[in-house]
Amino acid sequence: MAEARRQLTLDVGHRTETWSRADFVESPANREALGWIERWPDWPAPALTLYGPPGCGRTHLGRVWAARAEAETMTGTDIAALDVAALAELASRARRVFIDDARLAPERGLFHLYNLLRERGGHLLLAADRPPAQWEIRLPDLASRLRASPAIAIDPPDDELLGSILLKLFADRQLHAAPGVIAYLVSRMERSADAARGLVAALDRRALTEGREIDRRLCADVLGGLSNEPVDR
Amino acid sequence: MSRAPRGGGTQDRQSEIVVFAGRDMEEQGRRELEGQWGRVCDRLRKEIGDKAFKTWFGEVELGELKLGKIRLYAPTRFVRDWVGRHYGDRVLAYWQSVNVEVKNVEVNLVPPPTPRRPNEIIAVPPVPSSPGYAQPMPRLGPAIGRGDEVVQAPEGRYTFANFVVGKPNEFAYAAARNIAEQDRPLPERNPLYIFGGVGLGKTHLMHAIWHALRERDPRTRVLYLTAESFVNKFIHALRTKNTGAFKEMFRNVDVLMVDDVQFICGKETSQDEFFFTFNSLVEQNKQIVLSSEKPPSELHDLEERMRSRLGSGLVADIHASTYELRLSILQSRAEAARVPVPAAVLEFLAHKINTNIRELEGALNRVVAHGQLIGREITVEMAQDVLHDLLRQADRKVTVDEIQQRVSSYYNIKLAEMSSPRRARAVARPRQVAMYLAKQLTTLSLPQIGKRFGNRDHTTVMHAVRKIEELKVSDNSIAEDVELLKRQLQG
Repeated sequence: MAEARRQLTLDVGHRTETWSRADFVESPANREALGWIERWPDWPAPALTLYGPPGCGRTHLGRVWAARAEAETMTGTDIAALDVAALAELASRARRVFIDDARLAPERGLFHLYNLLRERGGHLLLAADRPPAQWEIRLPDLASRLRASPAIAIDPPDDELLGSILLKLFADRQLHAAPGVIAYLVSRMERSADAARGLVAALDRRALTEGREIDRRLCADVLGGLSNEPVDR
Repeated sequence: MSRAPRGGGTQDRQSEIVVFAGRDMEEQGRRELEGQWGRVCDRLRKEIGDKAFKTWFGEVELGELKLGKIRLYAPTRFVRDWVGRHYGDRVLAYWQSVNVEVKNVEVNLVPPPTPRRPNEIIAVPPVPSSPGYAQPMPRLGPAIGRGDEVVQAPEGRYTFANFVVGKPNEFAYAAARNIAEQDRPLPERNPLYIFGGVGLGKTHLMHAIWHALRERDPRTRVLYLTAESFVNKFIHALRTKNTGAFKEMFRNVDVLMVDDVQFICGKETSQDEFFFTFNSLVEQNKQIVLSSEKPPSELHDLEERMRSRLGSGLVADIHASTYELRLSILQSRAEAARVPVPAAVLEFLAHKINTNIRELEGALNRVVAHGQLIGREITVEMAQDVLHDLLRQADRKVTVDEIQQRVSSYYNIKLAEMSSPRRARAVARPRQVAMYLAKQLTTLSLPQIGKRFGNRDHTTVMHAVRKIEELKVSDNSIAEDVELLKRQLQG
């Protein structure tokens, strides 16, 4: 399974990433997070963190906010490359910053950026796999600032969302899935967006190499191949 | 926040002005229009409340009136759309009530911001007698200088009036008040050095001193900045070979306040410059207020001569908060926000969030904001839910084994029943609950879950999930069981 996944993550070249609000699939799993994004700029603190398992949609939601707030979008590693002067320049220019994979950002850089943005009345949106309270932050000032700001969970996808994600992934690859395939997959696959991504890539490849339709039988074959455990059919 | 029209500094705006040049609005007309906008704003504020008004109209600016159309400028697309959609009609109606010529209101996006003019940068009104203080920053160069004075102007909300005094902070509070009320610095109280842990109210006291001094005499030149900012400005001055402007900034202050002074430690050149600034101000009998996480004697990266100078005035500490202080802070904040929060919730927060005041206030804000967002009543359970990231040690990965154990002990059945073929209701229902929880709390596929429950088919799992979902709606006790088990498992 691990091997198949490794290949799959590289195999994303033809999937165009669409980050608009219209493409964001709403569900009970992410409704609260979406509510906070739409509530901006009425946030109770200068920062807000969205957290959840990989592929839960935190990047997408962060991009939706960035578009609304006209925020600069960066990753934690980008922050590592900036010195204090560059951070000050960023805060003055953008006033609103979205940092994806925020745990990769150096603590001091994040601390400076938080302060600079707060002082300018700006906002910082962070996305991570865990809430800041569980980041093991060594800089007490940063830890207490982030702990004092909202951390909103995005839950693993429910059936409805998983189905929508699969539909979107098929559409992104311009694939046509036979009727019933989505329901079939949802009730048999590992229930995460990352798994959905891997699964659709595998289906795509298998359909292409074997010249087959994407139907239940192909799904059964691929699911069987992806899992080490026997899958009942 | 200003209600004044924008200056027409950008290319876009200039081109508009050219278009309108033929029907140049006269000074008089402009003033009238601003007056009308002011009245519209007053009504809006009354109608939608201060908070919503600030959120949506705080940065909206008045443009012009042309052919019966009022143009407003919003800072972002989002605000533009929101204001247009939710308040457009109201703005028009209010405007028509003060000016019948208005037929239409249009909200546009402001052109990209132009660099602020120096006199906007300074939050403190420029002091005529000290031009060197009023406008030092632009000379320091744009990277750090621009807008930085705004940065350092204390936020309005931290005053003595909203500082909640209790045993742990009463001494520091009294010392701070004293500084704010004295006519001239007393050597034995200069500097005032406030120390205490993160988030206990040092910055609050510093800001409160700033506001009190300015209130007493608006001409008092009080410079407040963080040590971080001192170092940044100094490094920038060195880089741009402009240390003259840097020194100028401090020369004419009456009171200098440096927050989190420990950040200067270990940065030798900055430390020397700080020491120099410090000494020359003390010599001129100017008051200095410092804050730090540690007492002077524990600033190990600092030279000895400096450590002893910092501790030579009045040293006041703030201790960790007590339950009583935390509770009274929460009561005072809830009251100030005019939000009814049940006493049980405040007690719960005061009990659970005992790290520091910043996190305590943050927790209250989160709970209140959450309540507003989803329109839910504030209860202890809700607070627990909202703050679960703080209250829980770590998000543990819940396993099927744990679920089976917890559920079987909850319903008082044998663990083996989870995978037994028995279909009696007394065991089948708990098994279904466990399957439901396994689906909710793990990412395992349904066939994998089925396998763990005595090699059952994935359709059995699907049936169990559907059954519990139905029962949760029709049977309150099942809904409660599931919630309780879920909370226990997530720990």
